[in-house]
Formats: sequence, structure tokens, C-alpha cells
Amino acid sequence: MTRLPLTGIAAFLIGLVAAHAIVLGALPEFIMSKARDRLAGSGLPVHHWQMSPLVTPQTQTIVRPSPDLAYAICLIDLSDGPVELRVPAWPEYGSLSIFDAGTDNVYAGSLDARLPGAPQHRRVRIARTGQSVEGAPGVEIVRVRKAEAVALIRRLAPSENHYDRAAALVQNSTCGPI
Amino acid sequence: MRILSALAGLVLGGIFGLGTALAAAGIIGPGVLIGGSVQTGGWSSDWTIGSKAANPWTRARVARHGLFALTKEEAVYFSRKTDDDGRRLRETCTYEVSGGALPALWWSITLYDGTSFLPRNTDEALSFDLTDASAIGDPTAWAFTIAAAAQAEGGWVSSRAAGEFDLTLRLYKPSPELIANPEAVLDAPRIRMVTCRELP
Repeated sequence: MTRLPLTGIAAFLIGLVAAHAIVLGALPEFIMSKARDRLAGSGLPVHHWQMSPLVTPQTQTIVRPSPDLAYAICLIDLSDGPVELRVPAWPEYGSLSIFDAGTDNVYAGSLDARLPGAPQHRRVRIARTGQSVEGAPGVEIVRVRKAEAVALIRRLAPSENHYDRAAALVQNSTCGPI
Repeated sequence: MRILSALAGLVLGGIFGLGTALAAAGIIGPGVLIGGSVQTGGWSSDWTIGSKAANPWTRARVARHGLFALTKEEAVYFSRKTDDDGRRLRETCTYEVSGGALPALWWSITLYDGTSFLPRNTDEALSFDLTDASAIGDPTAWAFTIAAAAQAEGGWVSSRAAGEFDLTLRLYKPSPELIANPEAVLDAPRIRMVTCRELP
């Protein structure tokens, strides 16, 4: 009767579970880091709102873009302290969202001026856990664990005219150290 | 001998673990839906998308196939790969997609190819949304065609150069009722195959 190689089977199972868990856990941060590198490599500086080109099959750089929306993006680095975002409202659907280094959507606020109580400008201060950040009237505070984050503006823009109007608003938006 | 056996097992297990993780995340193949699934009318979603509540498989798959996805309070995402008869959606077929009022401030249906990108065509017909539904008639009873060639009338989404594709239904600012009970509240859009041609 042949003896089963129990040591080998046990080691196989340990290796499988460990590698599966480690790779799966590291993937979101790795993918976000690659996306940041790609955006930075395309000339996007840190703490600067930049409109993405009108989404077409030829301009898409990130998976599953919505061709009906105008996007603006800001790379955030909290190494030197908290950052404030100030973004004007939009007459149709729009949102300001923040994603941490692990791809989690840690903040989403509406920019839709039609909603009751919608502010003319949405102001958010983002800081690392443990960093000191002052509050102010009308300012929301968001905490993240790591220094790298990404802020994204989405505005409904079903036509080039809408896109141009959304692009003009980027000049009135801020993303930078407090 | 026992040490060699353990080392070989560890290396082999590591390779399989790496492979299964990449497959689950959709780096290799389409990815795997594990837990948190919402299924209604042939469309599937996951309410934990974008949030810290998502399990590691969902987080990895969303990072690969839906980076910068919003949490359910801001937007929910449904996807679908098959028609109402369960056949894989493909460029060689023509489909009619129809539906009614959807419980959100704004919605859109967008076509993506097998790599999760917009199909590489220049037809400027990538999606159908509430704005289109309102423009062509009644936003509470709408229909459009998915085909590789332009349609003479009605809404059209181009599947040219898409190969086997899927659709993403985005519902922005979904109603609290939808989040609480999606199966009962969502009048899920229907996808009927109209014609199909054989591949050459």
C-alpha cells in the first residue's frame, strides 16, 4: 500500500491559501498605485484638478469609463499635511468622490444643485489618521490611512457643450494643501 | 525526503494560490463573484462595491474591472452578459433593450467589450441614458437597439468591434427603496435578441 505524501499535501494547501490571500489583499493597492503612476506619467501633477478628455474609445485610459460624464481628477498626497477640496455645484447630476490608496470610496458628496440644501461649493478637508486638521463651517472632514488618495469629479455631460461648461468650472475648483 | 516533499508542495501551492487569486480578481479571465450578490431580472450587482464592507474578492475584482466605483448611496452598478434567453451577448447579433422608469435621479446603460473597455469603434453610440429616453419619447417606457450597424430610427448603441460584450446599468442617486429591496423595486431592463448572423 502506497503512503500518501501528507507533508507535501499539507504544504501545498498552506502555500495555496497563503499566496491566494496575500495576492488578493495586495491587488487593490497595486492597481491603484499603477493607475496613479499612469496618470502622473501622462503629465498630471499632484494637487491639481485636471479634466479628462471627453470619454471616447480612443481616449479611455481607465476601465469602464462612462461616456455620458465629464470627469476631473486630482492626485492627492497627504505626506506634508491635510488637503482641501473646493468644488462648485452643477445644474444636473454630479458628484465629488474620494478614493483611498486601497481603492475604497471613502467619500461621496453630491454636486447636484437641484437637490434640497445643496451647497454652491462643496468643501472637503482630507487628512491621514492622526493628522491634525481644523474644521470650519460648511467643511466636511475625511480621514484616510495612507498618504495617497485620488479625488474625482463626475458631471453629467451628454454633449460637447456640457463638457465645455464642466471644463470651465475646473478653474473655479481647488485641490491643495490647506 | 519529507523536506523536499514539503518544499515542492509549498511552491506548487504558491503557484496555484497566485493563479486562483489573479483569476478571482479578473486579471486572468472575467473574475469571480463571491458573496454580496444582488440578482434581479438577469442583472447582477453587489451592494458592497466601493465600500470597506466588500470582501477581498469583490475589492480585487472591482479594482481591476471598475476602479473608482462609488458606494451604493451615490450609485449602484448592475451588469449583464446574456439576453433574456440566457445566450451570451455578442456583436454578431442585434438586440432590443427595453424598460420603464428606473428608481434613480439619473441612469445610463453602457456597452463594454471583453476587456472592460468601450468597444474600439468610431460610431459615437456608446450608451443609452435617461436623457436619450426623454428625448426620443417616454422615459417610463423606452427601448433602444444594440447592433453593429447604425439603425434607421430609434435609439442605437453600437456593438461594432465589441466581440462578446456586456452591459453596465448605472443608477445614480438610487432611491432608498431600491437599496433596501432591489428585487421588488427594480423594473429590470429586458434584452431580446432580434436577429443573429453566423460568423464567417
